[in-house]
Amino acid sequence: MNFYKIANEAWAEFILNQNEIVLVTGANGFIGSRVVRTLLLYGFKRVRCLTRATSNSRSLEFIASEFNTVSLEIIKGNLLSSDTCKMAAEGVSVVFHLAAGIDKSFPGCVLNSAVTTRNLLDALIEMKALKRFVNIGSLAVYSNAKIRRGGLLDESCEVDRELAERHDPYAYGKAKQDEVVLEYARTRSLPYVIVRPGLTIGPGKAKIPGRVGIDTFGVFLHLGLGNRMPFTYVDNCAEAIVLAGLRKGIEGEVINIVDDDLPRSSTFLRRYKKQVRRFASVPIPYRLFYLFNYLWAMYSEWSEGQLPPVFNPRTCAAYFKGNTYSNEKAKRLLGWHPRVKMTEGLDRFYAYAREVVNRK
Amino acid sequence: MIKVGIIGCGKVADQHATQIQRIRGAEIVAVCDSEPLMALQMHERVKAKKYFTNVKEMLEGGGVEVVHITTPPQSHFQLGKMCLQAGCHVYIEKPFTLNTVEAEELVSIATQKGLKLTAGHNAQYTHAMVRMRELVRKGYLGGKPVHMESIYCYDLGDMSYAKAFLGDSGHWVRKLPGSLLQNIISHGISKIAEFIRSDKPLVIAHGFTSQFLKNIGQGDIVDEVRVIIKDEDSTTAYFTFSSQIRPTLHQLRLYGPNNSLIVDDDHQIVITVKDREYKSFARYFLPPLDYARQYLGNWSQNVNKFLHNDFHLPFDAGMKALIEGFYSSVTNNEPLPLSYREIIVTARIMDDIFAQIKNQQTPTRSVAPEYV
Repeated sequence: MNFYKIANEAWAEFILNQNEIVLVTGANGFIGSRVVRTLLLYGFKRVRCLTRATSNSRSLEFIASEFNTVSLEIIKGNLLSSDTCKMAAEGVSVVFHLAAGIDKSFPGCVLNSAVTTRNLLDALIEMKALKRFVNIGSLAVYSNAKIRRGGLLDESCEVDRELAERHDPYAYGKAKQDEVVLEYARTRSLPYVIVRPGLTIGPGKAKIPGRVGIDTFGVFLHLGLGNRMPFTYVDNCAEAIVLAGLRKGIEGEVINIVDDDLPRSSTFLRRYKKQVRRFASVPIPYRLFYLFNYLWAMYSEWSEGQLPPVFNPRTCAAYFKGNTYSNEKAKRLLGWHPRVKMTEGLDRFYAYAREVVNRK
Repeated sequence: MIKVGIIGCGKVADQHATQIQRIRGAEIVAVCDSEPLMALQMHERVKAKKYFTNVKEMLEGGGVEVVHITTPPQSHFQLGKMCLQAGCHVYIEKPFTLNTVEAEELVSIATQKGLKLTAGHNAQYTHAMVRMRELVRKGYLGGKPVHMESIYCYDLGDMSYAKAFLGDSGHWVRKLPGSLLQNIISHGISKIAEFIRSDKPLVIAHGFTSQFLKNIGQGDIVDEVRVIIKDEDSTTAYFTFSSQIRPTLHQLRLYGPNNSLIVDDDHQIVITVKDREYKSFARYFLPPLDYARQYLGNWSQNVNKFLHNDFHLPFDAGMKALIEGFYSSVTNNEPLPLSYREIIVTARIMDDIFAQIKNQQTPTRSVAPEYV
């Protein structure tokens, strides 16, 4: 374990000191546990972790043992409960809100993303100690309808206002969560930053990201082809999130997080096959897949949902049209630089995926 | 045009909305949820005219004729009563009420007011169940069933719903008098209740916790049930609920005095079992051919329905058929798709099962504290 060296003068650029209480929701998740670890590496002494009552806290216990510290406070509960929210919010200066609804239904995602966020905000505002709420959103909420293929998708792009038409409950829930935060900023002066990470990769997640391709039909369809993948290595992403909670003068900003040197889907897949496992894949050109999505959606509508509209032109465009991404704003506002290079991050991901495959 | 309101904007409400939107002559005019964000999201997606966070306000200002109640069961009785008293016809999701007394009172109010009421036993109207009912109506069994077997399985491991309630000791499912069982078994029980004549059939139930649940520290949840039911005459039935049988079967077997029937709801198959004698070795060679022909016939029917856009997932198809039947009963004063007797007998059998299981249970250790 190497503590990040934060110069004393750097702390002057932060909105809080190491002794103040910070809260991480979704703290034992893939990114959440890395955020907790990063906070400890920064030297925070009072990190409160909120996890679901059902989830095991092994990753947090491992982190606690690694740091040999009593800095971690673990609360198990549910943000739908006001008692949990009050307990989690008490005395908190900065919140890193990573808990989110991952559900197949729209109501499930709204309930576990937007309603939970609103409950937590109510408790935080009542406590009157909050300095910043870091809301973790998703790149999936952006619309690329007005961006040409290969065009830049950044923070200036508009949020898709018709996410329900995409049949994408997760993105819909995240957009509703953002709306709650913006509403509280407007009506209750909530100090906030919205962070929208790209596709987070790293040890702990072995699946090939959906933007590369899908194996729904029994054979792997390579859909990403030459598209740049908006990857961010999990530790890099966690540090960006932490900095979004610390830096002065960035209230109300929306910041996308992707790493440098983003690989193309074809490069990612080629290396995956070389380093993890070999399998057959069929490259599908974007226009052909778009046509398939168009026909599927037409059939779905015509048949009154006999086949649900899981394939539709909007989703196809959002995930496979192919855009470029920028981390210029993240670097400028946060003073952040990905510590782990993309090649190294991918190697660690492949090594983990190989381990999982061999275990099976 | 039937003007529909939905109370409760959770997952099940989405299923209702999708099926209501497929019905010509029906329109969702209002949605209501005590949580504003939930009401708003549904209003936005189903494009209802209005949304409410207060039921009274919806009943007064929503312009609704039929209300679908899709809230947790603890509120079904009160909300059902409010809607009936406001002059609305009511479709209540399963489990209909918490107990028979509540079910009887709702039926009584509806009858007095000349309104219609139904329960969300949509498994009664899957394609296969409709085919079975048609065969029974034509006398295929040769009379009332001598015996029935209803098996209803549930996979605790995969479903997000199960995970949600297993991990949350305060989840509404765990607060039901019959806990997990109460939220699920009405589908399997109503299949038997349909053929029971007595208002108070004999029920002998045994319930226990599977090793799977014990191993994950959920020893207080009963997820295995075996029930014997006997009608006033000689008709008997077995009901099985299991979270551990694989595959997760959903079947009904009807044994009649002349012939028998097998309904496989998982694959939408109906097989007739004929009382026919064959000479010598022919009994081993000819019936398999007949079964093969029947399976092929089922395949053909399913494909045909799919090609005609009439093969939505069984529970969706069942819900649409049940809602259509209910609306038709409301507008044309036709018989209800589920009789009140069937709804009440289902509730009574369930009450008996829960009471007997409760008596059998020994105290178990308490669940883990919420905070560590």
